[in-house]
Amino acid sequence: MIDYKKKLTTLSLQIKSIFSGHPIAIAGLIGFVMFVLTALLAPWIAPQNPYDLMVLDIMDGLLPPLSKLGNGTTSWLGTDAVGRDILSAVMYGLRLSLFVAFIATTVGSIIGVFLGLLAAVKGGWVESVIMRAVDLKVSFPGILLALMMLAIFGTGVDKIIYALIIGVWASKARLTRSSALSEMQKEYIDAARISAIPNWRIMLKFLLPNSIAPVLVMIPMSLSGCIGAEATLSFLGVGVPITEPSLGLLIANGNDYLLSGKWWISIFPGVVLVSLVLCINVVADRIREHNNPFLKSMNMQ
Amino acid sequence: MSNTPLLKINNLTVTYPLNSEGSDVLKALDNTSLKVNSGQIIGIVGESGAGKSTIGKAILGLLDPPAKLVSGEIRFLGNSLVSLSEAQFESLRGNQIGYIYQNPMTALNPVLTIGEQVTEAIEANTNMRGKNAREYAIQLLERADVSFAEDRLQKYPHQLSGGLCQRIVFAIAIAAKPKLIIADEPTTALDVTVQSSVLQTLIKLSQEEDIAIILITHDIGVVSETCDYVYVLRNGKHIEQGETVQVLEKPMQEYTRSLMASVPLIEKRLHRFAINEEDNLEDISTGLRYLQEKQSTQDSTHEPLLEVRNISKIFITPSSLFKAKQLFTAVKDVSFTVQRGETVGIVGESGSGKSTIGRMILGLEDITEGNVIYRGKDLKLITDSTERRAHCLSMQCIFQDPYSSLNPRMSAGENITYGLKIHKLIDKNNAKSLAQDLMSLVGLKREDADKLPHAFSGGERQRIGIARALGYRPDFIFCDEPTSALDVSVQANLLNLLKDLQEQFSLTLLFVSHDLAVIRQMCDRVIVMKDGEALENGSNENIFEQPKHAYTRSLLDAMPKFQGLAQN
Repeated sequence: MIDYKKKLTTLSLQIKSIFSGHPIAIAGLIGFVMFVLTALLAPWIAPQNPYDLMVLDIMDGLLPPLSKLGNGTTSWLGTDAVGRDILSAVMYGLRLSLFVAFIATTVGSIIGVFLGLLAAVKGGWVESVIMRAVDLKVSFPGILLALMMLAIFGTGVDKIIYALIIGVWASKARLTRSSALSEMQKEYIDAARISAIPNWRIMLKFLLPNSIAPVLVMIPMSLSGCIGAEATLSFLGVGVPITEPSLGLLIANGNDYLLSGKWWISIFPGVVLVSLVLCINVVADRIREHNNPFLKSMNMQ
Repeated sequence: MSNTPLLKINNLTVTYPLNSEGSDVLKALDNTSLKVNSGQIIGIVGESGAGKSTIGKAILGLLDPPAKLVSGEIRFLGNSLVSLSEAQFESLRGNQIGYIYQNPMTALNPVLTIGEQVTEAIEANTNMRGKNAREYAIQLLERADVSFAEDRLQKYPHQLSGGLCQRIVFAIAIAAKPKLIIADEPTTALDVTVQSSVLQTLIKLSQEEDIAIILITHDIGVVSETCDYVYVLRNGKHIEQGETVQVLEKPMQEYTRSLMASVPLIEKRLHRFAINEEDNLEDISTGLRYLQEKQSTQDSTHEPLLEVRNISKIFITPSSLFKAKQLFTAVKDVSFTVQRGETVGIVGESGSGKSTIGRMILGLEDITEGNVIYRGKDLKLITDSTERRAHCLSMQCIFQDPYSSLNPRMSAGENITYGLKIHKLIDKNNAKSLAQDLMSLVGLKREDADKLPHAFSGGERQRIGIARALGYRPDFIFCDEPTSALDVSVQANLLNLLKDLQEQFSLTLLFVSHDLAVIRQMCDRVIVMKDGEALENGSNENIFEQPKHAYTRSLLDAMPKFQGLAQN
């Protein structure tokens, strides 16, 4: 029924209109795509599997970048204390960081948008409860809330995803509600009401497509925020388990060796983390600019 | 007086680029010429997109960036204005040429008092300062017919009505004794009773201060009451010019004639507007069959279809920490009946509660007090959900704002049939052909059913809205100012369409409008409302020919008089 080919062409045209003429944003987009591809393909392109204790050799420990390993291969970015290849560890860490952030952003946004729409449509006590919960969430520093959560529920990939979702949903709910409220003033909603169209259909077919745009624009920002938050939590040791290191945990692992001149263990994961967040932010900025006609007209002059 | 005109525009062309290379352009003004003598009031009329406002902006060098003055000449007192620098324009604006905007509320600065704003204009353009400036400000306000001028100086714009604000804008405009004032739709945002007195002030100022005025408007009635000489524009092209009476009543051009025929008259009721319409030749028999097989509701023609009994609406702003509870009575104890097949009009100025009545009938607002009996039943007392739904669906609405009354993310066809599919009134497979038939019925192209609303013009969107309402096979349609956002020729077409549909499908209409002339043309009976109360309720002829209530008379007197085309 749906013409996917047509949709795909309009999407690619849209991407072209957003990015053409903005080399920095294009670079950011290319960088982001490369990171995602690396993360997805890590098991096939990484020199070794850093989780597989059988391939690790303690004799290879703490080698600087470009050293030869015991099995004859070159370790481009050096190794850590147990002889794990940093390049491989970074690829696998990237995979975990992106996975956690992606799931948390998606689920958090869906929950937030749904609650925002519900608040706008229902009004009354439903709205009060949802919006006070948003206020409560926003009044805590996000990282503190996540720390508390993890302290109570323990660590683990699933737990950190829950903690990040709690950080994401509130701002989306608030944004969706305000844009849905302004849509509700419009006459096509009245027309739907007169035609006795049930509330949940009004929510999904009328309000959702017309009030989602500002939320979509915010999603890349949330993604980079989640990556940063996850790295922070893992660095502090309350994030992912030590057996599945993410970028933050890798940085923490190298932390002890920084002062003894073994810089590569922390620096390379750190560089990857910073460039990833930077790429996403550059792309997010461009999308936001593109969607704000006021900023656009300022650029034209 | 010498023979040099005050302002002369020769062959002015202004373009907007349509693409970034500038190879394709829209001519907002195409080779337009115009002449204003001192003390003269000239009118520029035309529908949206005619380039009326562009002329005013071009004179003052206020064209917004992508717009470009390509060729032509503007001479004011013999001096060319085309090549002036921004600084030279600044000494001209306000000082020699004044400008009056459409919306007085946004033209005035909301955080400064009236006094500060008027004296600011005086100090900028004259050498009066302090007490002198203040006294002159009071004088100016009095000349612009602002009552209690001295007290008003302390007030802020939001404390005054729209009409008063517009007079204050006039006072500011005449502060520097300009030779020319450009008034861009100065009364469009005002109610009709206010409009007429504001226009009187404008005419008086022109005569007393010897100021020429260029009045830009879409309202033929306003032109006929105010202007000596009139120019008719269409799509940037100059169509016709001449003495007002000549152009309005005996136009030479076909376009002007059809424009004048579209203006609803207050003097007499016509069966239809005498405009050229294309006949609909497409085969829509399936759509018609669907619309005509209305489940014959208990056709007891004697009882009224709709009976409104003593309804009131009180809006309550709940008390909060800082504010006591506030009550606002929007509708006060209104009763009326609507017979089957009849069109009843509700007319009143803004804030009279006319739309609120309709919203209560449709169930969009709760009724504070009273009952609405429709088809012999009160919606509040229907418990069976199927019956309730049928009851609701047979009342439909045509909305005021064509730009917000359609779901922008659904195609036109989907907008029309979405609800029908939800309620299983039609088969999913027939939805598309029904949507096309309905679109064809309201004068749109069948193949446009797949387009999104933004691809349509305002008038076309309003037709989609009508098609959506018709799809439910309603008995009753509430029309909430359905044409107030449209150009007069589009309005005439749409009103004709409504009349045709009403005859074809024996619809009952409740028609709300602020425009007496539209009500005069459309309605069998008329209810006049003011501040939530129904003042008068009578037949079309009684209300318009022998109004009983003083307010109805004042409304009728305030209507700009336009006789229509001369009969020949």
